[in-house]
Amino acid sequence: MEALKTAYSSKVVAWLLVLILAIVIPPIAGGYLTSMLILISIWTIMCFSMNLIYGYTGQLSLGHAAFLGIGAYAFGLITVKLHFGFWPAFFIAIAITGLLAFLIGIPALKLRGPYFILVTLGFAVIVGVIVLGWIDLTGGANGLAGIPRPNPIPLPWGTKLRFDSLLSMYYFILFFLVLIGIFSSRLVHSLVGKTFIAISYDENLTESLGINTMSNKLLSFTMSAMFAGIAGVLYASYNIVISPDVTHFARGMDVVAYLIVGGAGTMAGPIIGTFVLMAIPEVLQIMPYLKTLINGLILMLFIIFLPNGIIGWFNTILGRLLKSGRVVNGPA
Amino acid sequence: MCWPGGTSSARPTCIQIFPIKEKSQGSEVFATTEFGQYLLNGISQGCVYILLASGLTLVFGILNVPNFAQGHLYMVGAYIGFYMVMSFGMNYWLALVLATLALGIFGQIIYSLVFYPMRKAPEVNLFVAAMALLMILEGIALYFFGTSTKWFIIPYTRRVITFAGLALPLQRLIVILGTLMVMMALQWFIKKTAIGAALEATAQHREGAMLCGIKVSWISAMAFIIGTGLAGIAGMLIGPAVLLEPTMGMGPLLVAFSAIIFGGLGSIGGAVLGAFVFGLVESLASGYVSAKYSLTFVFGIMILMLLFRPKGLLGREVWRP
Repeated sequence: MEALKTAYSSKVVAWLLVLILAIVIPPIAGGYLTSMLILISIWTIMCFSMNLIYGYTGQLSLGHAAFLGIGAYAFGLITVKLHFGFWPAFFIAIAITGLLAFLIGIPALKLRGPYFILVTLGFAVIVGVIVLGWIDLTGGANGLAGIPRPNPIPLPWGTKLRFDSLLSMYYFILFFLVLIGIFSSRLVHSLVGKTFIAISYDENLTESLGINTMSNKLLSFTMSAMFAGIAGVLYASYNIVISPDVTHFARGMDVVAYLIVGGAGTMAGPIIGTFVLMAIPEVLQIMPYLKTLINGLILMLFIIFLPNGIIGWFNTILGRLLKSGRVVNGPA
Repeated sequence: MCWPGGTSSARPTCIQIFPIKEKSQGSEVFATTEFGQYLLNGISQGCVYILLASGLTLVFGILNVPNFAQGHLYMVGAYIGFYMVMSFGMNYWLALVLATLALGIFGQIIYSLVFYPMRKAPEVNLFVAAMALLMILEGIALYFFGTSTKWFIIPYTRRVITFAGLALPLQRLIVILGTLMVMMALQWFIKKTAIGAALEATAQHREGAMLCGIKVSWISAMAFIIGTGLAGIAGMLIGPAVLLEPTMGMGPLLVAFSAIIFGGLGSIGGAVLGAFVFGLVESLASGYVSAKYSLTFVFGIMILMLLFRPKGLLGREVWRP
């Protein structure tokens, strides 16, 4: 019992340390590293989204790039064409993403295995084609420009919280990342989250317990798409310009790679995986076209030798050291 | 059919279907001729999908893996042919045989390095492995072959045959006839040889086949080799008719996937039927509606098919984990 308590508190301490590092490093690090960290944070949010539907609910979706794109384009169109403010547009864009995910999820989640993967992939392709083709609305290959940064938030003591600088944008995105991380953690430890995990282990068995797996999967899929929508909105707001490249299904595949390398179905997996796979090419100054090769090779090695990812492997080692019968792939 | 960028930062790929006569060409182009031309385009494009889809469905039937890398294997086949013919001046037909053999050997290597060690892994991991293979092949192609498009030129096949107002490049005719021959050979192999029978038995019931003394791991390797070999043939046949790019395989792959779902996963007849239908759908949609959205029709039909008849037109049963 004491050992468990110390383990728990050490975990909390570790998370706080990571958070403090994430807050303290960027002001020291300078512009380039901060912009890199911003992109890593946005893709970590995407990775949390994928973690919810694939890591915890066990449904591999290759269509999440579409939800990122829908969020980004909905936000961009509402602000640029309809001249809405940041916050109304933010919530409307996420609601639109969630609604579309709900509507797609109803037919798609009835299917299993390769069928579900291919329907989500097909959906991503259709969204990509429409975004590229509907030039009057989306601007086609030229992209959509002039998306606003967040409005200043008035603080009670008179000053305003402004988001003009790179650093403030980083903290803005980090705030959402932390929010989504905490939400995911609370969700996974709740009854709903436990139901999701049960579905990922054995859907038929879960159904035999009287649980409506369809509505649970739909809930997980919609929430996951809304996370992706948040990532899309943040990306659009940070980047000011969005192009059809954000909806490309290859982005969805990249996210799956990040998640599996980090460890699907763990809390730290999305962060570690995104960080490792996005930071390595930057640190080594690898040519952009080699990134695909490196990502593919790393993903292949992990899926063959360490299918539970870095965190899963770490947990196994830890479990062996402590000689306890801990579930390796359970929520960490 | 254009793609907004490749897996990473690759240029958009355009699959060049040979020029469709513009509607604005005036009175001498009659509606029936136009329809006939679209039909012909659809048939020749359908053949491309047939070659890819039959390989996909074969691998799916035995290994239960939707091989996402099939399109990229086809790209590798086309590039190997390109270098053999354009750089070493090899005869096209010899290059076709050699590229097919090379892809077959490559398939054996992939199988023994990736899918054999993973034979006991959950199926989702196999999908991810196939996806990783796609990324690796695209990365290799970007590194070795470059991002610029390449023309695979064989002078005599660039001639265009005109017949009754319809135009067809000779290479497209070779694609159609080649597909016909390959499919007949494949049918003969599966129906008339012992290995083919073993393949079919393994696809129908894996454990049952094992009990009959069929070496299932060997048969799986065989299926994978035939699948990659078919991709090599497809690349060699279609290469001279299109532009070569590292991402050229993705578009046909997605249509081929839709085709095997439409026809029924794991059934070669269904794959051929689906590929043929989608070739026509794509051609007619791009002719009469808009070339930009032709893929939307293909995927729309696939999704509708999954909703109302998940096992596909000729499929045996719904896949259950």
